[in-house]
Amino acid sequence: MKLPNYNQRLLSMETRTKRFMLGAVAVMLLVLAMIAAKQDYFSRSTAIYFFTPNAQGLSKGMAVKFIGFKVGSVKEINMEPNATVRVKVSLDDEYVHLIGQDAKARLVKEALVGESVVEIIPGSQQVRQVSQNSVLEFERGQDASTVVENLASQLQPILSDIHQITSSGDIQQTLKNLNQASGTFRQTVNEYTQLGANGNKAMEHINSSMETLDKAIPKLVDKADATLDNVQAATADIKKITSDSAGEIPSLVRNANALVQDGQETLGGVKRSWLLNSLFTAPEEQSLPVDGYVAPTQP
Amino acid sequence: MLLTACGTVDEVRSARLEQATEFNQRGQRAFQRGEYQAAATLYEQALQIDVAIENESGIAINTLNLARVNQVLGKTALAQRLLDHLLEDKALRYAPAHLAEAAAQKALLRLQENDTAGAALWADKAGAYCESDCRIAGVIDNVRAGIALRANDADKALQLSERALSANSDVPLERANALRLMASAKLIKNEAAAALSLAEEALVIDKSLGLPEKIRQDLLLSAQAHEKLGQAELAVQCRDRAARIAATALK
Repeated sequence: MKLPNYNQRLLSMETRTKRFMLGAVAVMLLVLAMIAAKQDYFSRSTAIYFFTPNAQGLSKGMAVKFIGFKVGSVKEINMEPNATVRVKVSLDDEYVHLIGQDAKARLVKEALVGESVVEIIPGSQQVRQVSQNSVLEFERGQDASTVVENLASQLQPILSDIHQITSSGDIQQTLKNLNQASGTFRQTVNEYTQLGANGNKAMEHINSSMETLDKAIPKLVDKADATLDNVQAATADIKKITSDSAGEIPSLVRNANALVQDGQETLGGVKRSWLLNSLFTAPEEQSLPVDGYVAPTQP
Repeated sequence: MLLTACGTVDEVRSARLEQATEFNQRGQRAFQRGEYQAAATLYEQALQIDVAIENESGIAINTLNLARVNQVLGKTALAQRLLDHLLEDKALRYAPAHLAEAAAQKALLRLQENDTAGAALWADKAGAYCESDCRIAGVIDNVRAGIALRANDADKALQLSERALSANSDVPLERANALRLMASAKLIKNEAAAALSLAEEALVIDKSLGLPEKIRQDLLLSAQAHEKLGQAELAVQCRDRAARIAATALK
């Protein structure tokens, strides 16, 4: 009587074990499929190349972006026999039609202290789209330190110019002449007022002062012209630098801002994470301790 | 499952709550530095936010803190009103621990105004609010010891303050309070040597906590003990030290 029961239970257990194993295999396959999807194994892609004198800043797996969207990744970095570096990039087929043969690949940093990415700079719309094994032109984008160095090197001569202008004596001399002329004129006017009737004499003084002014003014105008020329040249230099850097500076500022925000969010996340939240206790409102003492009234 | 557990994060705190916490903490620091007016302003700001977001715990904490600061500033009527708001609030429910603190503080204010009956009543209420794990049991004992001292009941004061001393072994502020109360009780019982020893022990703690008014009280108690011991010169020295502290007008 007991044996059939036992066999039945054994069969039931076997079935359940089989179901469990099948379930586990299914879950494993699902996880593998998800990983493969994440790694782009299921998406069709087009390989393109670019060449660079050195591999500095480039790494395998680096993201490739087009107008801010990830469109592919760096697959291989190899040194060629002529000591150049060949970089193989895999682009999602979905985006290939947007990238022309004359597009450029540029190595840029996403933030002041961030990851580097390869950015595809769009080419002309009319040119044929890239295809398998196309080669793009490559350039390195300016990073923050390069921009600052450029700015410093361009500002240096301007500062020297300004220093030279202010210390050369042109301006001092001009002011001195002007001061002298106005002093003479004031003196003449005073004399004219005081002497009153002695008009002739005063008129002579006025005439002589006017002569002095006549001589001084052309000199003043010449010097002022020269000074203005110098200032104009300096202004032109500043304008040039500003326009050269205009594209970089706002993005630098934006990047710095985003970086700070990212940092704060990351730190906040780290502080709240399961592993570390015990190290960072969240501040809470606290009450002052009750002080259970009242001084006795003094005798 | 494990990954999900690893990714679990704490309850998200609103920006308003964090702002209230910041005001509260700045208030705490100001109070510790003796900048009471600044502390009052900061607690008011924290309380305003807590009321706006209906954070009951924050409302209770900052109301208690405001009452305490106003008590130190000598605005006892305002301190009483604040505590009454908390104790008579019918709309919000506060934690018994906060209500116990409010009642104990109310008892201290009554005692400060020499209303020993009122003080005893509020001390009893504080005890009733305080449940099994009462954090301020030692404080309540000290308040009751203070009440007994006003009634010249040295034995009861000594018994209560000794109990407070053992209950507050890890709270220096209340430990020093208990020692001071014991010293006063011993003086009433004419045990000057013991009183002096207790006052000096309290003085060490109060100096480490940097509490000028308490240091002054310890020195005055020491002076009384020296006088009873016939050490007039030492008594004068202690009074002189106490007077110098009083001259700074720092509390």
